Amino acid sequence: MPELKHALSTVPSASATYDGVAPKSVDESKKQPSKLFSSLIAPPAGGRRMTLLEVGAALPETVDYLSRYKCRIHFLDLYSEPMLQQLHEFSPKQKAEWFREVLVFPAGTKLDVCLFWDFLCYLDDKALRAFNDALRPWLHQDTRSHGFGVRHLAIKLNNQRYGIIDDTTLSVRPCQALQPKTWPHTQVEMHDMMSCFDFEQGLLLPDGKLEMLLRARPEAFRN
Amino acid sequence: MFERNRNKQQKSPQREEARVAPQSPSLGSPPPVASQGAAVIGPGVEISGDVNATADLVINGKIKGSIVQGSHTVEIGEQGQVIARVRAKLVKVSGEVRGDIIGDEKVMITRTGRALGNIAAPRVQLDDGALFKGSIDMTPVETAKPAAPAVEKPAAATAKAPASASTREATPGAAAPASTLNKDQVRKEPSLTLKSG
Repeated sequence: MPELKHALSTVPSASATYDGVAPKSVDESKKQPSKLFSSLIAPPAGGRRMTLLEVGAALPETVDYLSRYKCRIHFLDLYSEPMLQQLHEFSPKQKAEWFREVLVFPAGTKLDVCLFWDFLCYLDDKALRAFNDALRPWLHQDTRSHGFGVRHLAIKLNNQRYGIIDDTTLSVRPCQALQPKTWPHTQVEMHDMMSCFDFEQGLLLPDGKLEMLLRARPEAFRN
Repeated sequence: MFERNRNKQQKSPQREEARVAPQSPSLGSPPPVASQGAAVIGPGVEISGDVNATADLVINGKIKGSIVQGSHTVEIGEQGQVIARVRAKLVKVSGEVRGDIIGDEKVMITRTGRALGNIAAPRVQLDDGALFKGSIDMTPVETAKPAAPAVEKPAAATAKAPASASTREATPGAAAPASTLNKDQVRKEPSLTLKSG
């Protein structure tokens, strides 16, 4: 595993515009600066269409931002799935089955970018592993992803969803769906269970969350 | 299964032509962005089958079929419900669409719009409050290939009355399902074609 500690740093100016409190309405959406996001979205070589997965609802600013790219975005709002609320109560086999059912894309789809946002924080160890396994067929060796993590329960995870305003700014809106139970994971655990990915970079945010940039692990795609 | 068998026993549908009168300001609810002369399918009208419009089309009723297509603008009003593929130069959804949406120029989902299906367009606009489930395929104009013609030109305006067409009373100034129109009511008009069967 790469030494993530070397990559960890704080975001000096983040607290100036982001207080970590979810807005009460869409109109009160807030902005969150991101130092990692700018390097995530890049059109594939050869003019190929970029394919993205967003685990969350389609937000106007995200669609508007991505409209500059030749791309296909799959919006998968798993937060609206009642199953997510009780996922931890199901067996590993049932979790795996559910993720295989919901992670279905047109034949031949290979995701270039995955936007997980807070979703990984709502999965327990078994669910995280099942999610990783179900996602693997849709990834390729250059897939990259972005998400946030919490290392312990003392870090408050607001019930919120994210949009993209520009290369360095995300929007944060309250999530209407019921917030699932939070499952903190250390970096080592996350690395072990999300075996398709390596940590490329991580940033410790002022609210205690870890912003993660992940890159496909080449070994995961060798036959 | 039983429904299908029942339909088979019914008489073969006759080919008919249907016309939708241009919208009158005094009739029906005014469409939000309809241009003058737009064809309007009013509230209370339910069509089972395909719709092909050569003029702007505003849908405030219900359409269930395989495709709704227009050469210019297709707008699904707040009361409109479409269970079909929708294709036009500009598609604006303020009501509900269950099916893929193809915009040769743009697709807009307004704050009251609900779309379940995939969208393909050079430009897509979602308003705050819009509900969308599916994928979005975008090709910005500068990289887009020349758009294919939005609508196949209808060789003849035809409407085949569906054996299983579910119809309701047509509102004034709105499209009436072909199957409910008698010969006096059915007039030739190139702006809107209903086809089902």
